[in-house]
Amino acid sequence: MVIDDSRAMRMILKRIVAKLNFEVTEAGDGQEALDLLATMPEVPDLALIDWNMPNMNGLEFVTKVRADPRLREMTLVMVTTESEQSQIVRALAAGAHEYVIKPFTEGAMIEKLALLGLVPTGANS
Amino acid sequence: MSVETVVKEGDLAEMVEQVWVSYLDPEGISPLITTGDENQPTEVHSSVSITGSWHGHLVYASSTQAAKRAAAAFLAMEPEEVGQEDISDVLGELANIVGGNVKAMLPAGCFLSLPTVVMAPQTASYFPAAERISGLYGVWDGESVSISMWQSSSDLQKGEAA
Repeated sequence: MVIDDSRAMRMILKRIVAKLNFEVTEAGDGQEALDLLATMPEVPDLALIDWNMPNMNGLEFVTKVRADPRLREMTLVMVTTESEQSQIVRALAAGAHEYVIKPFTEGAMIEKLALLGLVPTGANS
Repeated sequence: MSVETVVKEGDLAEMVEQVWVSYLDPEGISPLITTGDENQPTEVHSSVSITGSWHGHLVYASSTQAAKRAAAAFLAMEPEEVGQEDISDVLGELANIVGGNVKAMLPAGCFLSLPTVVMAPQTASYFPAAERISGLYGVWDGESVSISMWQSSSDLQKGEAA
């Protein structure tokens, strides 16, 4: 699942994860993502989440997912321009598994996902 | 505090290079070439405002042609397929990315707004209570592109008085 208020960024992220054979759903903010998750019979393996979004930001989304037993196993990766150390610590403390700072290259994103065991070895070669 | 002591033009250039490598020119064929021409004409302007411990704006500006090209590269489309909504979305995201990285170099306690995009000449994208303090001005395949930082005039006056 790709969650970002920028359609352009959602397209970039969708292109990357589609290459890795993920089926991709998308949402424009945290609340829309929660609403969508509530209708999905299966919880996605992965969510790529922007921080600054209207309605519900990425940090609130991570906190809510971690508090929900049905969604708790989902791997959460923040993908954001928030690059201060204090913000990274906040996101990881809230329950994000990884943190990617924009701008990122396709290779860097795939490496991060590989570190989480979500990418077959050599997918970035 | 003047941002010039915190975010130098070299820092802006480094951020912009990362944006080009990541999204606009991943193959390294057509980088942004700096000209230093502050007065080059631009037709599309996107900005994010920074508030908190520092007040100002980060502005990404370009010609319409360069904006179309950026949208096409970002969205993997042909330039002739690009519409106004595509341009607005991509230029907003470019301002957001550069602005977010600039924010990280400013004093702690800054907040970033959502982006605003104005598709109009430079005169229409005027920040009345701010002064341009830094910028990167260049051409991308012959089309003008600039990234500039504007600081609140009252912040600047406080800095001078201190």
